[in-house]
Order: sequence, then structure tokens, then C-alpha cells
Amino acid sequence: MQRYILSRLIQSLLILLGVLLIVFFMLQLTGDPVSLMVSRNASPEQVQRVREEMGFNRPMMVQFADFMTGAVVGDFGMSLRHRQPAMKLILERLPATVELATVALLMAMVIGIPLGLLGGSNPGGFWDTLCRLAGLIGQTIPNFWLALILIVFFSVGLGWFPTFGRETCTVFGIHLPTRSVILPAFALCLFTTGQLVRFTRAAVLEIKNEDYVRTAYSKGIGDRQIYTRHILRNAAIPLISIIGVQFGYLLSGSIYIETIFSWPGIGNLLAEAIGNRDFALVQAIAFFASLTVVILNLLTDIAYGLADPRIRYGD
Amino acid sequence: MPETSADATGLLVDETPDRTFRQSLVYVGRLFWRDKTGLVGLIMFLMVVFSAIFAPWIAPYDPLQQDLRAAKTPPAWTEKGSFDHPLGTDNLGRDILSRIIYGSRVSLTVGFFGVLIACSLGLTIGLISGYVGGRTDNIIMGGVNLILSLPYLVFVVFIAAILGRSLLIVILIFAFTDIPIFVRITRGEVLRIRESGFVEAALSIGAKRRRIIFRHILPNLIGPLITIATFEMSAMIFYEAGLGFLGLSVPPSVPSWGNMLAVGRKYLTIYPWIATIPGLAIVFTGLAMNLLGDWLRDVIDPRLRRVKK
Amino acid sequence: MTRRCCFILLTLSLVAITPLAAMAAPQGTLRVATTTMPNAIDLPMGAERNAHNVSWQIYNALTWINDEGKVVPALAESWTISENGAEYTFKLRKGVKFHNGEAFNANSVVATWERGKQDKMQWKEKFAIAKYVQKVDEYTVKIGAEGPSPLLLRVIAEFWAMIPPRYYQQMGENGFLNHPVGTGPFMFKEWKKGDRIIFEANPDYWEDGYPKVKRLIFRPIPESTTRMAAIQTGEVDIVTRLSSEEAEALKAVPNVKMINYPVDRVYYIAFNNLTSGKGQPTESSLVRKAMNYAVDVQAIIDALFDGYGRQATGLITPGDWGYDEEIEPFGYDLKKAGELLNAAGYPDGFSMGFACPSGAYTNFEQVCEAIQGYLGAVGIETDLNLMESGKYWDLEGKKQLPPLFGDSWSEATGEALPRLKGALGGMDASFSAWSDPQIHKLLDEIGRTVDDEARAKLYVELQRYMQENPPFIYLYEPVTFEAVNPKVKDYRPRAAENYYLKYTSIE
Repeated sequence: MQRYILSRLIQSLLILLGVLLIVFFMLQLTGDPVSLMVSRNASPEQVQRVREEMGFNRPMMVQFADFMTGAVVGDFGMSLRHRQPAMKLILERLPATVELATVALLMAMVIGIPLGLLGGSNPGGFWDTLCRLAGLIGQTIPNFWLALILIVFFSVGLGWFPTFGRETCTVFGIHLPTRSVILPAFALCLFTTGQLVRFTRAAVLEIKNEDYVRTAYSKGIGDRQIYTRHILRNAAIPLISIIGVQFGYLLSGSIYIETIFSWPGIGNLLAEAIGNRDFALVQAIAFFASLTVVILNLLTDIAYGLADPRIRYGD
Repeated sequence: MPETSADATGLLVDETPDRTFRQSLVYVGRLFWRDKTGLVGLIMFLMVVFSAIFAPWIAPYDPLQQDLRAAKTPPAWTEKGSFDHPLGTDNLGRDILSRIIYGSRVSLTVGFFGVLIACSLGLTIGLISGYVGGRTDNIIMGGVNLILSLPYLVFVVFIAAILGRSLLIVILIFAFTDIPIFVRITRGEVLRIRESGFVEAALSIGAKRRRIIFRHILPNLIGPLITIATFEMSAMIFYEAGLGFLGLSVPPSVPSWGNMLAVGRKYLTIYPWIATIPGLAIVFTGLAMNLLGDWLRDVIDPRLRRVKK
Repeated sequence: MTRRCCFILLTLSLVAITPLAAMAAPQGTLRVATTTMPNAIDLPMGAERNAHNVSWQIYNALTWINDEGKVVPALAESWTISENGAEYTFKLRKGVKFHNGEAFNANSVVATWERGKQDKMQWKEKFAIAKYVQKVDEYTVKIGAEGPSPLLLRVIAEFWAMIPPRYYQQMGENGFLNHPVGTGPFMFKEWKKGDRIIFEANPDYWEDGYPKVKRLIFRPIPESTTRMAAIQTGEVDIVTRLSSEEAEALKAVPNVKMINYPVDRVYYIAFNNLTSGKGQPTESSLVRKAMNYAVDVQAIIDALFDGYGRQATGLITPGDWGYDEEIEPFGYDLKKAGELLNAAGYPDGFSMGFACPSGAYTNFEQVCEAIQGYLGAVGIETDLNLMESGKYWDLEGKKQLPPLFGDSWSEATGEALPRLKGALGGMDASFSAWSDPQIHKLLDEIGRTVDDEARAKLYVELQRYMQENPPFIYLYEPVTFEAVNPKVKDYRPRAAENYYLKYTSIE
């Protein structure tokens, strides 16, 4: 087990190194950002001075080494627009994004897993078709489009939810979500919901076909017991990994939803940074998002390893 | 001939019965008939393909033709609508039906060529990776894992923002970011076949490597690759619309569904059909391809098929 | 331009109401939706107009530009200008206090200048305009420039937000940015990053009767559809920067009042005679005039901006000091264009490189495509290259763009000089690709002339010269749209897209 975790850890570190390489060289494609940092009335000498101050005139390899040493200690340079450390800006926005992603994930689980179970319990039937269709629509509906329709219908039309922004209520110093999270979380959760319907259904079908479940059925054990004892427990293992991956997706995939609902999270910051060509900030966010995905993958792999002895001993 | 493409045991024998083309067609038709959702998906998908291919003949108007006097006409089934413009017109009086029909060209072009490039490159790389093994395999898989752990949307948006708006760039972005999935599938299949001992056996009796690849490995890959390609195409259409929404996809003058959404959203509260209809078109196409993909997967994976009976 | 008249009438009627409402205690909450989140509530650090608009609600400068575009006293009660126009002596207002209780005096002026001219500040050259700032006594301060400096009063009105020196020293740069303190009508209360900025009325504000509202909230809503929805539901009271399409969609909605006004920004296609354009046909003024005649700007405005926009007559807009009322836009005249090209010796046209930024300006890609078409019609074949705007400006700054390139330039001070100098300064200006000795001479003179009327005459002379020898294809000045809740009274946005909310009240 220790060896397994260690090898996964080394793998993750290598991946992060690769990500750093990619984000650095992608930024080089965007040209010299100095023109965005000075006022347009600046003279060529002023521009040159800023260029030297920011170190953009150094050889690319020197800049890269500098970037890497900074990255190791969590320093991703300054946002060109905010003139503040990029990491600080990201961390300021993190709570809002985590709140949105968590609520969306819970929503997806509450909607998706029961639908998947329902579908899987009676494959080919009417309910199965309906659940599959619901899942498919969830996966194919463009969430940014749905988000706007939700706003028009529920906020402007019915007035049930606020149109935009994040309101929290503070209980014992903890910021709890309020109804302002419902529309964005719903719009965000649909894709994950669809995935969960699909995977839960497939897992149920697969386990139902396993010999021990067949045996249990033939012994005359009731449906309910089989579900709780065997099917749910065994289906949980692949679901863990899917949920882990999906949480990563939710954290990074909220660029549209956060922008549309003006949700003060990282996705919103990213869209703004792209709009302002603040590529230093984009770079930091891209790395941060990759870091989240890699860590979540690592954690799910470990959880998976703990849950499934075959993996533990196999590696 | 999907039903022979993968065997549950993994033992691959040249057991493909040499059916005639017609017999195969009848067989596939019967499979479709058995699972109606697959049939529905197929019909829906063919409708999209048809409208893309025959756009100039079936579209009632030039998708770029503006008619400001007829601007913002609602669809025919509403009170003020007329059958001159069955789905209404947009803010510049362009016929929405015609734009939807032409838009399917953009979507399918992006999806088809994106997947084609990704699939062929992924297949080649995957074959090399699985077949050569060793250090080459490690390096390739490192790269694959690297790309897969990047937050997809963030990177696509980043690249598109840097490179600018053109159909070719959009296709290339999707193609290159999608290679890893095809590499994984191919490599997995190659390894499975190698582990089955079949290849060693074939080699020992003097079979040529090339023959093994073309005669045994590739046919087994067609099924899974087509399935994945269907899902990936659907995903690309989805993401293209997303880029269009951010103003990062094809140039604004091109009638694409994403661009139509991007323009139409401004009128969502007053003239809702301008944005709603392209949105429905995206859902329709996505649904078609996913139904088709699901069906392919069920047909190709015999274990699930058995369960269904 | 009937729409512009509407706006002027609106402003006038708002001005007329004002005295009646004076003296009432501030009440109500005014919620303003901005397009972006300010990066800082600060002038020298504020990245763009949104940040500056938010900032000016809590700060004051020595001078202020009033709604008519005139420089009037603010924290300075009066000033005198030295004989050579280089040194300004300000008498400061007494008894003004910062929000933290610190007294405003000459030290604040010195501290503001010293902070603003640091290299790390985005707008440092707006502070470097002064060579020295000298405290004469507690309430007298001298600001001196390199030479005659007619724009100094306007620049300090736009950028020199007075800061409390002792507080700034205690808090440090970051502490100050997190909790800014000024002398303005509102006081900083809270900033939830990415979400909202909350200001409260300053009870001790030195201008009696202001502000009118008790609480001011700024909320960034980047997505314009959401901005539109939020004004419809009444979640915000003022929504800025809508497009003509969005404005039209909101027209039919009850409880939303639409306003629009022209913006002090000029779009143009620039010629180059410094680098890539050397030896090209466009060095001939006949060719440049022909190209101005060849482009149907009004048709572009009609097709791409629903007719909202004004044909540019040069780089000076009607709101700028010294605008020449008699000047006419070139207009679309293919015959003249053909004749001029003939006279210049290019009857069959020529071909040339052309670049435009993408993703930076509304519909600008299409504008450039249209121009490519118009130029093609007179035989000038262009190879249009649409470039990601960051890269584009990088190349523009390095003067590496093709000999024809599109861009725009805004101006907030109410005088076109900074824009003219920036775009036509030759090798001395980063974003200029044009050098013309006559223009240099006139700009130098304008820059040295402190007398307003004399300066206006020079501007007129310059405009006429730039009509005969156009360094650009002049395109258009855009119109912006805003939606306001009818309960909001006396909201006065300006052509530079700025606003001061001390007047504004809410029922």
C-alpha cells in the first residue's frame, strides 16, 4: 500500500511539473504583456523601463527558471491587472467556488444516484428509459444556456431567487450558503448528474450480473436486502472515483456559471483575467485548477486502493 | 460488424463469420430494432447530417441575408409568427431555420474533423505505445496523463483566447486536447490482446507484426473507437458552442450555434426564441449522438447486452 | 443627432431639479452594477474606468471638472498661474477632514504626489507631470511642471486623489489599499472581493447637502444578460455599458429607464510612416484622403451599431476643448476617391498589409472586414490580419504592425491633447506610427499655451490641417447605453464614461 501511494505521489508530482512547463510556455505565446501595463501615452523609454523592471527582457530560460523557483514556494507572480500576487487573488475567491462546487456535487448525488438505481433496477423498462433520458439531457444541455433561462424564468419571471451574486448567512463564524446558490448550483450540477445516472445504472447492472448476487437471488433473499448488502456497497467503489473526478470538474468547470451568476469565485476571476488579457493570472489559475484535479485524483486513487484490496496488492 | 469486434473472454480467434454485406446490414438493423432508443438516436443524428450536407438546398434563405424589416419575427406557432420564417428571425432579420441548418455544418465540421484528427493520431500513438512498450510507452503515457489532468475547459479557453477566432484553430484545439482518450483506448486494447498470449502465438508461428496489427488488433479497436468517437464528437459540439458563447469560437459572421446563442442571449427576456432555438439544436444533436453512443456501447460490450435481454 | 439632444435635455433637466433637493439628510441605498470588479479602490493603481469611477466617490482632488467640462475649485479654493505657465500656486480649503479624522492640508498634496509617481503605479506619468510639489505653508502649495503646462489642472482633477499622509504611513501600501481613506462624499465600509464594494455617506462632507444617498453599493456583473435581468428585477438601480441591441431589448420593459450618450473615444485606421509604411503609397496625402473617401462610415455605423454612433471628423470629439464646429466628416464619395488615386499616380490601386485587434472592441472585427471590402472596391487590396489584442498591442507598441492598422483611443480629461500626442507623437510615443513636422509643431504649441482661447484656436488649426493631411482613416465615435431605475434621480454620466454620485438620490 505504501509503495502504491508513493508511486502515485511521484506520478502526480511529475504531472504538476509538466503542467508548469505547459502554462509557462503558453504564456510566452501571448506576447510581451508590458503594452498592457503602461498607459498608452507612455514613451518608448518608459515602456523599456517597465520591461526591465518586470524582467521580461531576460532570456526565456532565465525567466523560466525564475518562474519554476517561484512556483515551488507557491509564488505565481503578480497579476498584471490587480498588481497583487496571483495566488492571493485565487485564495480570496476559493471559498465561493468550493461552496458552489460542493452544493452542486450534493445536488448531483441526490438527483443522479437514485435515478441511476431506479433505472438499473428495471433495465429496459419505462422508468429506465425515462431516467436514462433525464441523464442524457443533463449531459447534453449547455449549462451556460440553461443558466440564462433559469435566470429569466425563476428570477425575472417568478422572482424566487436572486439574479446574481452570493449571499451567505453566518452561523458561529461559518459562512453558510443561502438560496442564492441554488440556481448556479443547479445549472452547474447537470452534467455531473447525467454522469452519475449513467455510472450508477451501469454499476448496478454489472453487479446484478455477478455470480454472488445471482446466488443471493436464487437463495430467495429479498430485493431490498440485496440492494443494501451487495449492490449499493459494491457500486460505491467505482462511484467514489467518479465523484472525485467530477468534483475536480465542478471546481474548474464553473467558468461560465460563475460569470453568468456573477458568483465571486475562481471561474469568474478566470473569465475576467482572460477578458483583460491578464495572462499571468490565467497561468496561475490554470495551474491551481490542475493542482486541484491532480490532488483529487490522487486522493480518489488512494481511497479506491483502500476500498478495493485487489488494487492494494496488485501494485 | 460490431458484434465480432470484442470477445468477452478476450481470446481472439479468427472466428469472424464471413457474412455478406447485406446480411450484416440486416443484422445491424435488427439490433437497432431491438433497442428503440438507439434507433431514435440514429434517426435524429441522420437528420442533423442530412441538414448539414444538403444545407444549400433545404434552407429557405441565405443564412447571412438580413432583412431588417422582418427582424425579430417570432416562430410560426406563436401569435405574430408567420410561415415565411417557421422558426422566426433574429435581431438582424436573418431566418433562424436557415441559420440552424447551416449551423449544423459548423458543428459537424468541428466534431467530425476534430474527432478524425484526434482519433487517427491517438490510434497511431496508442499502437506505438502499446506495441513498443518500455520507455516509449512510459513517456507517451506520462504525456497522456498530463493532458488528462489538465482542467479541460480552462485550457481550451486559454488557448482559444491566445490564438484567435477561426474554424481551423477551433478544430485543432479540440483535436489535440482529445488525443489522449484515443491513445488510452488503443493502448488498452493492444495490451489486452498482447496479454492474451495470442500475439506471441501468432509470432511464434511466423506471422508478421504488420499483419497482426492490421488483421487482429485494428478490427478489435473499431468498435470501441467508434463508440468513443461518437461521445467525443458530441462533447466537441458542446464545447464549440461554449467557446462561441464566450466569443472565442469561429468568427461572428459564421452562422454557428454557439454564435447564435451568444447573440441571442441579449434578447432572452424579450425575444426568447433567438437564443432558445440554437440551444435546442445543441441539445438535440447531443442527445442524438449520446443515444447512438450508448447503443453502440451496449452492442459492443456483450456483457451489458446479455444483461439487457 | 437627435439622441444627443435628448441627452443634453436630460442633463439640463437634472441640473434644474438639484437645488430643490439640497439639504435633506442622505437616505436610501443606491446599487450600481459595473462591468468588471475594480482591481483597486485607488486612482494611481486603478486599472481602468470602472476602478476610477468607484474610487472618485470617496476621494477629492484639488480641482474638479464640472459637468460642463470646466475646471472648478474643489479641495483648492483658488489658484494662480505663474507668468510662464509652469508653476501653479494653490490655496487649499480649510477645515476639510479625511474620513479617519486627519486634517487635510499641504502635506496631503505632497504625499499624494510622492506616492503616485512611484514606478510601480499604473498611472505614474499622470503624477510625473509635476516636477516638484512644494509646501509653502499649511494651506498653500506650489506645483511646478517642466514647462508651460495647460493640462495640469485637468490631469490633477482626474488622477490626484488626495490621501491622508499619516494614515498612509501607518497602514503601508497594502493596508491602505485594503481600507482606503479620502475626503470624498462617501466613506469606505467593506469590500467583498469579486462580490461587492460598500460605501457609506460621509456625514462631515465639506460640500453641504451632499451626498444624497446613505449607502452606495457597487456590484460587478460581467455578463450583460444578467445585468439586464438584475435591473428588471430591481436588484440594482444603475446598469452601465449596454450595447445598442441590449438597450433596444430593454426599451419595452416597464420600470427601466434607458439613457444613452456619446463617448469620448475615436476609432480609426492608422497609417504608418515610421516603420512598415515607409515608401508605401500611403505616404502621399492624396492617397490617404482617397482612402477616407472610400470608406462608408455611416453605413458601418448603421449596419453594425444600429445607427448609434457619430462619424469622426478627426481625433478631437465635440466634447473636447477646441472642437471645430465647422469641420465635416469626409463622407462616402467613390468618385473623389478615384480621382485622388488617379492624381496620386495609383489609378489601379495597390496592395497593402492591414491588421486589427480581435476581442478588444465591440464588433471591431466586422468593422475591419467592411473596410477591407470598401478599400477593395477602389482597387486597394488589403491582407487583413485579425490578431489577439494582447499580442496586437505588443506589436503596436513596438511599431511592428502592418502599414494599416485599426485601433481606438479614449480620453477622460476633456482635452484631446494626450490622445493626439500619444497617437501622433512619432518616435517619442509608443503607440504612434506617424510623424508629421507640422503636427508636431502645432502639438508643441498647444502644449505650451496656457490661455484657453488661444489653445482652442490652435486646436482648430490642427483639425483643419489633419483634414487635408489625414494621418488616419477616421471612423466613428461610439454611443453607450445605460439602464436606470426610474426611482434614481439626478444621475449624471459623462462622455468620458465617468460619474460622480454625490448628486444622485433615490426615492
